[in-house]
Amino acid sequence: MRASIAGLVLACTMLTSTAAFAEEPSAAPDAAASDVQKDAAEERAASFRGVRGPEAESVPGGALMLAAYAVVWVLLFLFLMRMRRLQRHTAEELERLSADIRSSESR
Amino acid sequence: MAAAPQSGGSTAWSVMIFATVIMFAASLYAIFVVAPVEQQMGIVQKIFYFHVPSAYAMYIGFVVSAIGSALYLIKRDPKWDALGVAGAEVGSLFCLIVLLTGPLWARKAWGVWWTWDPRLTTTLLAGMIFAAYLALRSMGSAGEVEKRFAAGLALFGLIDLPLIHYSVQRWRGVHPTVITGKGGGLESEMYWALGMSFIAFTGLAVLLIWTRASIERQREEATRLRFELVHR
Repeated sequence: MRASIAGLVLACTMLTSTAAFAEEPSAAPDAAASDVQKDAAEERAASFRGVRGPEAESVPGGALMLAAYAVVWVLLFLFLMRMRRLQRHTAEELERLSADIRSSESR
Repeated sequence: MAAAPQSGGSTAWSVMIFATVIMFAASLYAIFVVAPVEQQMGIVQKIFYFHVPSAYAMYIGFVVSAIGSALYLIKRDPKWDALGVAGAEVGSLFCLIVLLTGPLWARKAWGVWWTWDPRLTTTLLAGMIFAAYLALRSMGSAGEVEKRFAAGLALFGLIDLPLIHYSVQRWRGVHPTVITGKGGGLESEMYWALGMSFIAFTGLAVLLIWTRASIERQREEATRLRFELVHR
């Protein structure tokens, strides 16, 4: 048991030691190497600046306009369909109720 | 279009449908062919030609609903209740159109979909009041108490309509005022496009309210016959 724990600790130590030594900064860094590092960092330098209002993003106006007109036509179509269904259902019910009343009168 | 009026009214009905369709075609031509693209906002400004008349049609629907409701509370005649329901439904339809097309324009113009501007907020409030009206009326077959309560709600909703209209003048907000006579304005071709669109939407709102009220009267008749059959 002890041997296996000692083995595990040793293995972990060996695995992490390479990375630990690699991250350790050198005592006297070379000037040229430092310049190379600085250039690479500068190349990737980016700054985030917040903007307010319509300039925040380029928005496709044509797509928004098409969407707006599509919304109008789709909603109108759905409303008309709903009214048509409601009217058909009501007409059928009226017909059925009238027939029921006629049959109850004839009895 | 469903539930056309009988006999003499059918000619007027057909003429009205034909005129509305023609006006819609003409307004679309004026919007996309005649009216120029706006200098600053670009093509997205063309939403304006359907957005503003939709708001106007919303006013028509809600005002008709409030008038029908008030007359129902006074006279207790079901035909006024039917008018109240029809106005509320059609007004809510156009309110939904306004609340959906507005953000599509705002995204481009203001950089946001929605902001708590006084006009936007009061319009949303009107939509919610009349949505509550419709929810109340859709709960099974509405009894007399539900009808009266809903009528009161429609009258309460009427109070919000002047607030929507005057909110841009009384309170600070971001919603533009183009046709108030105090600054802003439109080019003549834009006025033509907007004017035709106003006529088309007015015709459509009248047709829809008329049709819906006629269906609602038929439903009332069905309810009366059902009651008669049960109590025989």
